[in-house]
Amino acid sequence: MMDTVYLDNAATTRVAPEVLEAMLPFFEAQYGNPSSFHSFGSSHMDAVEKARGQVARLLGAKAEEVFFTSGGTESDNQALRGSVKIDPTRRGIVTSAVEHPAILETARVLEKEGCSLGIATVNENGELDLDSLKALVNQQTAIVSIMAANNETGVIMPLREIGETAKEEGALFHTDAVQMVGKSPIDVHSLGIDMLSLSAHKLHGPKGVGAIYIKKGLQIPPLITGGHQERGVRSGTYNVPGIVGLGKASELALTHLADSVAEERKLRESLERRIKERCPGAFIVAENAAERLPGTVTVIFRGIESEAVLTLLDMQGIFASSGSACSTGSKDPSHVLYAMGIDYTLANSALRFSLSRYTGEEQIARTVEALEVIVERLRRISPYTQ
Amino acid sequence: MWKYSDILMDHFMNPRNVGSLESPDGHSEVGSPQCGDAMYLDIDIDDQGCISEIAFKTFGCAGAIASASALTEMAKGLPIEEALKIRNSQIAEFLGGMPPEKFHCSVMGHQALKAAVEDFRARCEEIEAILKKAGVTPKLVRPGRVYLSSEEDRDKAKSLLAEKLDREISVEVK
Repeated sequence: MMDTVYLDNAATTRVAPEVLEAMLPFFEAQYGNPSSFHSFGSSHMDAVEKARGQVARLLGAKAEEVFFTSGGTESDNQALRGSVKIDPTRRGIVTSAVEHPAILETARVLEKEGCSLGIATVNENGELDLDSLKALVNQQTAIVSIMAANNETGVIMPLREIGETAKEEGALFHTDAVQMVGKSPIDVHSLGIDMLSLSAHKLHGPKGVGAIYIKKGLQIPPLITGGHQERGVRSGTYNVPGIVGLGKASELALTHLADSVAEERKLRESLERRIKERCPGAFIVAENAAERLPGTVTVIFRGIESEAVLTLLDMQGIFASSGSACSTGSKDPSHVLYAMGIDYTLANSALRFSLSRYTGEEQIARTVEALEVIVERLRRISPYTQ
Repeated sequence: MWKYSDILMDHFMNPRNVGSLESPDGHSEVGSPQCGDAMYLDIDIDDQGCISEIAFKTFGCAGAIASASALTEMAKGLPIEEALKIRNSQIAEFLGGMPPEKFHCSVMGHQALKAAVEDFRARCEEIEAILKKAGVTPKLVRPGRVYLSSEEDRDKAKSLLAEKLDREISVEVK
């Protein structure tokens, strides 16, 4: 087996060895239920609370403001579905055109159920158009939900200004920070964030666990009811190994933010520079955005189709992703690129590379070398490159 | 990743008949709006009405590139009518199987072949119409050459075609 080059960390990440190590005891000897009366189970509550503190520290939150969920999608659902139930005079949702489907699809479902829906636009750099947002937020708005950073372009959104816009009209501000947490510093209190979604598996934690930050004092109706775990905000038996893993992953992410995130950014910039130098027709999406995540970039290779590139990369053990897949006869090109005004053919030429703290220079070099050959080969047989 | 057969991967990695022909008898440019794919196809037709040369360029996934390559291999040498009858299932079979989700990829090849044949026929008809007006009945017409049965019409046909068409057409007696 050749060494793999994994550049799809925006999809999911490897579990850090330290995280796995922290989780294992809770699959083995320490399998009790923290909600039990007996000490065999209840002693595990300490581990859950330790993890809560670790997540809180990463967000600049208080431990009591962190609630464990099954992941980003559940947290997003709770934020949207819960906030439109609080005040019958406030049923409006305002979001953006470039959100993850966990927000956009949920918002559309709620629209069918009678909520109003406003969708703010982005400019050609993938940056939120704050004026378009302001025009949509009013006294009927329950929630303004804008992602912290985009999963395709890596563009970071102006959270402070969005929060202020929501506050001016008395609306709640939620941010889907699944891509941002652990990659770029975030401080919920100073940014005026009321709710935040995060997912463990995007920051070298396990799949199937995440959290929602809910600002102290805010009563968000539960999405999942049952045995009153998490103070009734989220019922269901504690996923102790998962929660412990998320906690450890959060602790490690804090260290990464301090120590190695600059290295990740340097590698991504080097990847971009070398692709532009060596692959004719390639350009970087959102290259001129004010702020981007350290490790995520979408590149458009003019004249060649992304799935063909992915297939050839895959054969060499290099794994990236594209916004669309030619599967059912109708490719849905990325709604994110579409919102930025990028046309259909170009959107079908887009590839995303997303790095992590485990990505090394050698992997970037191998990727560029492979791309150079692949792009040359596919451009030779393309009708679009004469 | 799709489960592609070795044959399909070979046609993707080493597509046959890639490129373009110099002054082809028929040319087409088609695209699949559902898929964003595009294909250019050139054909040459010999005196017997068979596809003698064929060349393509494709913007598409591995399945689209491989099925375009397969179609050109299958169509080469066939009479036009036979080539137009090649079905998607035959392309899939030729490639040693194809994921069902990728069947639609081969549709573009058909469209391209059909359009190239239409282009070929339209160019022939254009020449025939010009000659007919002048009372010349050709023996065989191709977009780049005309065969006449007698020497007497040759100069007339040649100057007429040179005047009406902006491409060079050889006129021979056979």
